[in-house]
Amino acid sequence: MSKFFRRIGRYFREGFWGVVRHFAMAISSASAVTITLTLISIFLMFSFNLDQFTREIEGTVQVSATLNYDCDSEDETRIRSAILNIAGVDKVTYKTSDEEFDYFVQMYDADGKAGLREIYADQHPMHAAYYINVTSDADLKYIAEEVGKIEGIYETSYGGEGAVLLMDALDSVRYGGLILVGALSALAIFLISNTIKLTIYARNKEIAIMRAVGASNADIRFPFVIEGILIGILGSLIPVGLTIFGYIYLYQLLGGVLLTQMWPLIPAHPFVLYLAAILVIAGVSVGLVGSFFSVTKYLRWKR
Amino acid sequence: MLELKNVSKTYKNGVNALHDVNLRIEQGEFVYIIGPTGSGKSTLIKLLDGEEVPTKGVVDVLGINVGKLRHSKVPKYRRNIGVVFQDFRLLERKTVFENIAFAMEVLNEPSRVIRKRVRQVMNLVGLDDKGNAFPAELSGGQQQRVAIARAIANKPKILIADEPTGNLDPGKSDEIMMLLEKINREEGTTILMVTHDTVLVNKHRKRTLVLEAGYLVADMVEGGYFSHE
Ligand SMILES: Nc1ncnc2c1ncn2[C@@H]1O[C@H](COP(=O)(O)OP(=O)(O)O)[C@@H](O)[C@H]1O
Ligand SMILES: [Mg+2]
Repeated sequence: MSKFFRRIGRYFREGFWGVVRHFAMAISSASAVTITLTLISIFLMFSFNLDQFTREIEGTVQVSATLNYDCDSEDETRIRSAILNIAGVDKVTYKTSDEEFDYFVQMYDADGKAGLREIYADQHPMHAAYYINVTSDADLKYIAEEVGKIEGIYETSYGGEGAVLLMDALDSVRYGGLILVGALSALAIFLISNTIKLTIYARNKEIAIMRAVGASNADIRFPFVIEGILIGILGSLIPVGLTIFGYIYLYQLLGGVLLTQMWPLIPAHPFVLYLAAILVIAGVSVGLVGSFFSVTKYLRWKR
Repeated sequence: MLELKNVSKTYKNGVNALHDVNLRIEQGEFVYIIGPTGSGKSTLIKLLDGEEVPTKGVVDVLGINVGKLRHSKVPKYRRNIGVVFQDFRLLERKTVFENIAFAMEVLNEPSRVIRKRVRQVMNLVGLDDKGNAFPAELSGGQQQRVAIARAIANKPKILIADEPTGNLDPGKSDEIMMLLEKINREEGTTILMVTHDTVLVNKHRKRTLVLEAGYLVADMVEGGYFSHE
């Protein structure tokens, strides 16, 4: 057991001194990590908030379909299942014509001044209606048309198409960002592995001695892996700071919403802490992957 | 403790470095391996320390079939063997003490054990007062002593020295020889020493293996070397 701790202690000590000894090189790879993680952070803030907006908007995007006056309960059941069969339909809610009338009165004559309720006391002209919630990737126009074809439907309409189009546009921005972030991560991994290769090259005599005296591959490899991880952590310090303070600042500056009340931002706490954790994990992973493979390549026994 | 049975080695490029070598070395022996450049001396050493695998035959060291050893088992096996090279291979930025300790640190020995053993081997090689010196501050002979101290720090059963006196003048070579004899005597280490130095071989007579063009042409138990040329 104490051998285990001595071993771990040595990995960290050697890894730490590796960073110190090749500080310039470590800093140059760490800055590649910094740039990558900063972009990842911006991407994540954008992405998570976009998800939040999308969910917010999804509630407001609906197709409504009014029914002919002469529909009976059998027709209603038939129409409901026909609607549910259309691709992209998530959920349907039925409202009776009286409920529709109540809603109408609520909307236009809540205080009763216009006397709408009295005017239509005996008979109101409202239709019963289905309200159709759609899935996030659904085509509103198509659903409205298909619903319109069903026997017994009087009229269909839909709203919120502008918002949906905007979401689609933002979604493509997100895909572009994802590709950029992927490419940058690959670059950062490449730079770290290069640094580690140079470190290994600078220390190949040490490695040869370690081998000659019978150090195991793990014993040779892990100090370098720790070195890579430390570079990754070093590179994540600035992005973590920028993320925490930047998001809190922006959130306060914008009053918690983006442009309109319709788009509330994700509250800073604990969101920034999640982001920070993701960034540190990403930095560590980049360092680990970059160093692990470059060492493995150099440590393979040639025989 | 060490046996080669019908061992041949052909490198990937087609060079036949060893042909059907048979030999047996007992625990505690001191053996020279001599022969001209390219005769297969280093190849023989690489077969023994597990760096190369024989093309044919069996290399048995301490009951282990070295050629069949799995990659992952090679490091552990290597701890049985200390190696010393012609060019010392010391770390310039570490002191003498640190250089020797390094060999034990990478095997994760406790620092108390390391300090004790390093002092012991520094005394054995006669460098008690040089612990804080850097390699560049030492003579060639002293540097080779550090390398020897490092090679025996982990108490290997076998010490292999590939031309350890190749870079030293005759006086210093003699001292290194006496040191190796002392290690052979005091630590009981089996020693295989590759050398070109016929003067040394004739002066400090020991069992001598002669390689020529990959063939083991002589195994002189009483020692001494006489060129056929
Ligand atoms: N790794 C290798 N690959 C191919 N040929 C090699 C290799 N190592 C040694 N040789 C060849 O094997 C022969 C024996 O070499 P070596 O064992 O180094 O001899 P010595 O140490 O006696 O000078 C030489 O012809 C050499 O060129
Ligand atoms: Mg040689």
